[in-house]
Amino acid sequence: MSTTIADRPLSPALKQPSPRSGWKFALNVAVGVVAALSLIPFIYLLVRAGDKPLSEITDLLLRKKTLEVLGTTAALISCVVALTVSFGVAIASGLHFIALPFRRLLLIPTVLPLAIPSYVFTYTWIAFIPNFSGFAAAVFILALSTLPYIILATLSGLRRVDNAQIEVARSLGLNYRKTFQRVIWPQIRGHVSAGALLVGLYTMSDFGAVSLLNVETLTVSIQNMYRASYDRSAAAVISLLLITFSALFVISDEAIKKRSSQGEIIKAQSSRISLIRRTYLRVSVILTIAIFTVVAILIPFTVLLTRFFTNPVALDWFDLARVTFATISVAAIGALIALILSAPLGLLQSGKITAFGSATNKIVVIAHALPGVVVGLALVSIGSKLGFLYQSVFLLAFAYALLFLAKSVTSMTSSLARVPSGVKDVASTLGLNQLSVIRKVVIPIAAPGITTGTILVFLSAMKELPATLMLRPTGFETLATQIWSSGSINRFNEAAPYALILVLVAALPTFFISRPDQDDRAYIDSSSGGEK
Amino acid sequence: MNALELSHLKVLLGNKVVLDDLSFSLAQGQIAALLGPSGCGKTTLLRSIAGLIRPSEGQIRFGKQLVSFSSIHLPAHKRKIGYVPQEGALFPHLTISENIAFGINRNEFTKDQIRQIMKEMLALTGMEGYGDRLPHQLSGGQQTRIALARALAIKPSIVLLDEPFSALDAELRAELRTDVIKLLRSQNTTAILVTHDREESLVSADVIALMRDGKILQSGTPEEVYSSPISPNIATSTGDALILQAVELADGTTNYVLNPNKSLAKSLNTGHIVIRPEEIKIKRFTTDSLISGCIINIDYYGHDAMVSIDIANEHIQVRIPAPFDFAVGEEVALEHVGPLRFFANN
Amino acid sequence: MKIRSKSTFALLALGTISLGLLSGCSSSDQASEVTELTVYSGRSEEFIAPFFAQWEEESGIKLNIRYGDSAELSAQILEEGDNSPADLFLSQDAGSLGAIADAGLFTSLPADVAKEIPAIYTAEDRNWVGITARARVFAYSPDRIKELPQSVNDLTNPKYKNQLGIAPTNASFQAFITALIESKGRDFAKNWLTQVEANGPKIYPKNSAIVEAIDSGEISIGLVNHYYVWEVSKALGRPVKAKIGFFAAGDIGNLINVSGAGVLKSSSKAQAAQDLINYFTSSATQQKFVSDTHEYSLFAGAAAPADLPKLTAIGAPSIDLKTLSKVKATQELLIEVGLL
Repeated sequence: MSTTIADRPLSPALKQPSPRSGWKFALNVAVGVVAALSLIPFIYLLVRAGDKPLSEITDLLLRKKTLEVLGTTAALISCVVALTVSFGVAIASGLHFIALPFRRLLLIPTVLPLAIPSYVFTYTWIAFIPNFSGFAAAVFILALSTLPYIILATLSGLRRVDNAQIEVARSLGLNYRKTFQRVIWPQIRGHVSAGALLVGLYTMSDFGAVSLLNVETLTVSIQNMYRASYDRSAAAVISLLLITFSALFVISDEAIKKRSSQGEIIKAQSSRISLIRRTYLRVSVILTIAIFTVVAILIPFTVLLTRFFTNPVALDWFDLARVTFATISVAAIGALIALILSAPLGLLQSGKITAFGSATNKIVVIAHALPGVVVGLALVSIGSKLGFLYQSVFLLAFAYALLFLAKSVTSMTSSLARVPSGVKDVASTLGLNQLSVIRKVVIPIAAPGITTGTILVFLSAMKELPATLMLRPTGFETLATQIWSSGSINRFNEAAPYALILVLVAALPTFFISRPDQDDRAYIDSSSGGEK
Repeated sequence: MNALELSHLKVLLGNKVVLDDLSFSLAQGQIAALLGPSGCGKTTLLRSIAGLIRPSEGQIRFGKQLVSFSSIHLPAHKRKIGYVPQEGALFPHLTISENIAFGINRNEFTKDQIRQIMKEMLALTGMEGYGDRLPHQLSGGQQTRIALARALAIKPSIVLLDEPFSALDAELRAELRTDVIKLLRSQNTTAILVTHDREESLVSADVIALMRDGKILQSGTPEEVYSSPISPNIATSTGDALILQAVELADGTTNYVLNPNKSLAKSLNTGHIVIRPEEIKIKRFTTDSLISGCIINIDYYGHDAMVSIDIANEHIQVRIPAPFDFAVGEEVALEHVGPLRFFANN
Repeated sequence: MKIRSKSTFALLALGTISLGLLSGCSSSDQASEVTELTVYSGRSEEFIAPFFAQWEEESGIKLNIRYGDSAELSAQILEEGDNSPADLFLSQDAGSLGAIADAGLFTSLPADVAKEIPAIYTAEDRNWVGITARARVFAYSPDRIKELPQSVNDLTNPKYKNQLGIAPTNASFQAFITALIESKGRDFAKNWLTQVEANGPKIYPKNSAIVEAIDSGEISIGLVNHYYVWEVSKALGRPVKAKIGFFAAGDIGNLINVSGAGVLKSSSKAQAAQDLINYFTSSATQQKFVSDTHEYSLFAGAAAPADLPKLTAIGAPSIDLKTLSKVKATQELLIEVGLL
């Protein structure tokens, strides 16, 4: 194995290149590439916005309409976040602490909305209540769509709370509410904040629901300007405004995370919780979940099924199958590309935290707020110069990867970081070099979390609309584009089968994510989510 | 030639000097206990030996082999060191058997041989039948056993254990410790055991190294370190100690509370002496006793007791064997029967 | 996870590449033998697909049709520039055609292509030609509006407060505003828009949505194109509670706009694309437009769609269609006023 150097005279000039630095360099390069790719939409926006003289830009930013739209967007985000956080944390805490029959089953409907695109929600609710539109309606729909993220985030935080602390607090005289406030909340605050960040970013970037409900957010404004097409520069300026807003959001979330303690030692044994058995609490939780299920699952499904069965036009089953297959394939490829792109970032972050790693992480997360229309146009701009790659399935999949990279990265980063360093050290001493440690120890342990992140990208890609419209190969339809092309609510019958299939196909992986893990080994990291 | 030789080791973590000019050696088959307060660098030392940290100065040798010196750094995965970290760190995604066999080179051994090793290790650690379980199904003590089995399976030259028994209750701890030491000795393994438990170190080790602020202040056999500490601080590290103010006189005697000033000789040095509580004998008070005091408290431990005695407003702790028939409030005579370890104040 | 399996990964990679290549391949035809043509169609599939299908059968050339919104598609073409894969752009309105022409992305059509179409309905340098006409009208609820407005100016009247529906993002509406600017000047247009805006109009994304809203009673009057009442009735399967009305003759509200097509400069199949244009502008197809999609044919003297006055009898304002390409200024105005 190794030579005995002791017999030779020691030469201080004997330089041995450290094997690690070669690795580190390659990793940094890979991360740099990913960061550069994430910056494509930014650069596009800057170039476009630069077409306008500065005075026009200022006028545009300061005019009444812009401020109104900004206000609407901010108000919308605040309401949605407030609503989802209050209900989400309550429901998740209820599921975690209260003795409920069929606890595991009760979780499923709260997470199932992940399978339903916001525009499908909107369509079904408009069909259910005529004249359903406006700000309150938008808050309602977006809250329904995004509640699962808060629930998953809170649950993942609650799983890490030391139950012994709760028992001590209770013995010191704190009731449930105070215990929650003073012992539990400070510990889960960071996780909830991560979930809230994604709810906020998603709300900012959503287009389908708000446009159907006639609420003009920044994204709708941008889309309108693009459809008005000749002032793409104005649209670019507003998009940059959107990014700035998103950046503020991300930064404030970081601040909240820092304040909450984050370091945990993973215990070998999780102490068992004694579940609360108060009847009124059990009833409240079950009732809340029941109402949510009716509102978010049963009503949409009923509407879809009704429309499906009363559809006067015969359904083209072959077309449905073809489109379904197309949707699944391109979404899967997109998820795979996102996985590959996020691997270097995750690996870098799981080691020592470097300024470079944190910066690229932030870039990726801020870009998450970019609406599909911006990424789509940026890729049209560049892609059209790339010959056969343009309007190819690959470019579309790549667009999905760019759009949803943040989800993949956050889940990968936290899954990898959660691998205890002791385990990596031991693996080293047992004879595995760096690469083998990653392959045989880190990845298997982190796999469940990474899988979840990849599935979330897949789900989002399946539902994506604006970028798909622009980048899809001519003649290539996805379930989302078919639903959207039916146009008005009165032709929704034709869209219903496609919407139904989309929801059913998406429900399977959603179900998989929502299953609470029995042996608690796989830490489902929920700080990854959001649809466009 | 020593199994492990550390010379003038310096390790920096960030800008902080964690190990400072540390030297230590261990012969083959010896078990060393590394004793010291938290934060003194024990874990860092282990990790440096394991190759997980690169020292900035100094040498590390395993036998004849130089593994670390300036630009030479044998990486961790080539060192054949057994490492049992504080939290056990079993691979959660593998069964117990797979954990144990993890470090075994697939190219050197056949499948049957590997299975044989697995069985041996399970037997050695008293964990037969647990092979197919998963780590989270085991208790803390069981996990420690498996972590050790995993480390030993690769037939390492040195085994490093970082406070492996810290999570266990007293009874289990002693039992597990005995088993582990027995196992290590049976394999003639060289081992370093990090602990903050004084008794554990005295019982288990051939060599005790006392560490503080990144340095090894004293090392030697348990008897040496216990009886002849090089400073009062070291003395408290290895056991209960009475540190009493004392004055060294010109005539060679030392005055302290149990030997009050009778001579008229000049005082040479002021300082402290260190006495072990069991080095003081007490008996029924008689009028011709030299020193007497009043029992103010008795802490009964079953096999012995710690008696607090008030002498001239100073409290002395004395360890007496049980059974005894002293009671609180009694007047007793004290006699010091042990070495006087004087440490001057400077 | 499957990533660990090398063979699965290889298979996936292979699949990716082949899928990508297959779908993205632009047809590499010889110049002489055209087998495929790419069309960006701003006209919705529902109405235009049968026309495309007919031509495909007759010509033997396969059409790759990308359906979308006229404005979005022209944005895409503008972004694609010289690298656009489109051979033909079929647009719902003259404005977006003008934008592409202004960017120099159309090729000029030879004089014998679409020769029946009157010159006023084609671009000056024949960069694009009109195919059908669409008249701007107002749709109204006959139950609630008894006295019909005579001019667009009337719409600023308080009696229409919260009752007017408009679709500012719609190309046809923007064409109307462009015409307004052209004929009456920017200040007048800005004034009119501001007054309308102050009157609390309801904003809709599409013309069909306006008609549906009149039908449901949400509003009582809206600015749409002439065929929307027919279109919505057809979609709903019943007659809607709305009627079409024209403003007084010569009023700018009676603007006639055209749908049209142009051949992209980036196309290597100009001949085939021109054939397609000829098909659209043939007499048989023009009649089909009138009967099947309820649009106006551009042929002089052609019959009007059912229940509507002839094109020449509408009392359209005299507007040079070329000027409708100045949509950029219109949009800037709309943004300024806050309707966009």
